[in-house]
Amino acid sequence: MSRTRQLIASLRDALGSAEPLPPPPPLPDVPPPPARVYTPRPEKRPFAEEAAKHTTALVGIGHVGTRYATEVVLQFQAELAVAHAAVGALLPDDWAAQNGFVGIKSRVNDHREFLLRPDLGRRLDDDSLQIVRSKCTRNPDVQIIVADGLSAVACMGSGKALYEAVARACGARGLSVGTPLCARFARVWLEDEIGQEVGAKVAMILLGERPGLGTGDGLSAYVVYDPRCGKTDGDRNMISNIHPRGTPIEDAARRLALFAAAMIDQRTSGVTLDLARLGEAGERAPRPPQVRQRLVEHG
Amino acid sequence: MILEPIVPNVLSVRRLPNADPAMIRAYGGDPERHRSLGLVTVDQDDPTYVALDEATKHAPVDVIFAKSFYAGSAHASGRLSGEILGVFGATEPESIEHALEACLRCLQHDACFYDADGKGTVTVFPHVIASLGEYLSKEAGLPPGEPMAYLVAPPIEASIALDAALKAAAVRAVKVMPPPTETNFSAAWLTGTLDECEAAAMAYAAAVVEVAGAPKR
Repeated sequence: MSRTRQLIASLRDALGSAEPLPPPPPLPDVPPPPARVYTPRPEKRPFAEEAAKHTTALVGIGHVGTRYATEVVLQFQAELAVAHAAVGALLPDDWAAQNGFVGIKSRVNDHREFLLRPDLGRRLDDDSLQIVRSKCTRNPDVQIIVADGLSAVACMGSGKALYEAVARACGARGLSVGTPLCARFARVWLEDEIGQEVGAKVAMILLGERPGLGTGDGLSAYVVYDPRCGKTDGDRNMISNIHPRGTPIEDAARRLALFAAAMIDQRTSGVTLDLARLGEAGERAPRPPQVRQRLVEHG
Repeated sequence: MILEPIVPNVLSVRRLPNADPAMIRAYGGDPERHRSLGLVTVDQDDPTYVALDEATKHAPVDVIFAKSFYAGSAHASGRLSGEILGVFGATEPESIEHALEACLRCLQHDACFYDADGKGTVTVFPHVIASLGEYLSKEAGLPPGEPMAYLVAPPIEASIALDAALKAAAVRAVKVMPPPTETNFSAAWLTGTLDECEAAAMAYAAAVVEVAGAPKR
């Protein structure tokens, strides 16, 4: 840049900086946006309408302008609230005793710690270990544990019914069932330590599963052969979505007992368990399509 | 914004590698030494005088002709006339090329008028030449290499500003061209040390801006 231009630029800064800013121009009148009314448009494509009959997913819900209909939003919020409530629920201390279970708990002390520390939820605390060692039948074929997991609501709702169905199914196959246990603040791997302590051939934990939209009442069952600390998820067989709209309790119980018998027969579990040998009995029974439940009524 | 540079528009650049002696004589050249000519027209005259002078520092050329046109580029005789015709003369066409290159570079990047009122209706040329070339040194009667402040503005602004410039720095007026000149601007050439010339030029520019903003105070 030339010397003269530099000098003029600095002179301009000196002159300009002394001048106050000009007043802002007055704002023009901004007219309010035109009132527009959108009416909901139902889904018209036959594919979406048909698909909606077979799934709880959000298909075929129509639209209002570029948005969801109010009813869809409310429904979604209600379903999310169900999930939140299920995660936040606590299994009462005396629920186990009232329902004929022996109550135990993991090393977790409160709900927040339970959500943040999965590792603590996988080990029994000292008192519970003593209870398991002193009160439980030793060396059963199958040790069944009911637990809260991530949904105490599901555990309280159908935990006992599922336990009784499974115990009955196991008994029908001639398998001995251990002392009924109910664990609080439990993660899946807690079954390893319990099964190891009682010397069970097969350990089975029935616990509330991570809630999804509108399903706070789903139970999962994890089955492991020769339980001991250190078993991984690859050593387990499991059934999920055990609730009225998913796998019914009776069907789940039948298959869980079948798993236990097959594990004892094949002396293994998890990915090495040969499910093909179970034939059609191991297959999931056909079930009617799931349909979205209406949780709120609008308008 | 005030004092924005107004870059000159170069309207034509032509060469005459072997001009006719009669024509060279008519334009004030010596046919023996100025066989080859370079001609430019620009829409700002005073930056062009500075640029012609600058070119004499870069090549063995003489400025044989440089004249402003009456009433300035707003009243030019044609699209390519602008405000000034400048003519270089040299023995070799190559010298003309170097001179034109230096001249155009100076017009593009250095010498220019500045907007004094933010609307482009008052302009000022407060240029400082650090080292005079052969052309302007001869015109000003100063030895080549001296610094000089080349100050131009419209009549009333120039009158007030020249007074301010002379009082603001230890400079000497070499030549004052009161209005009307060809373009109806008023010009002044001041000399002193380089620092004093710069101080005078800035005082001149500031005074022009002040007059342009308050003409009737």
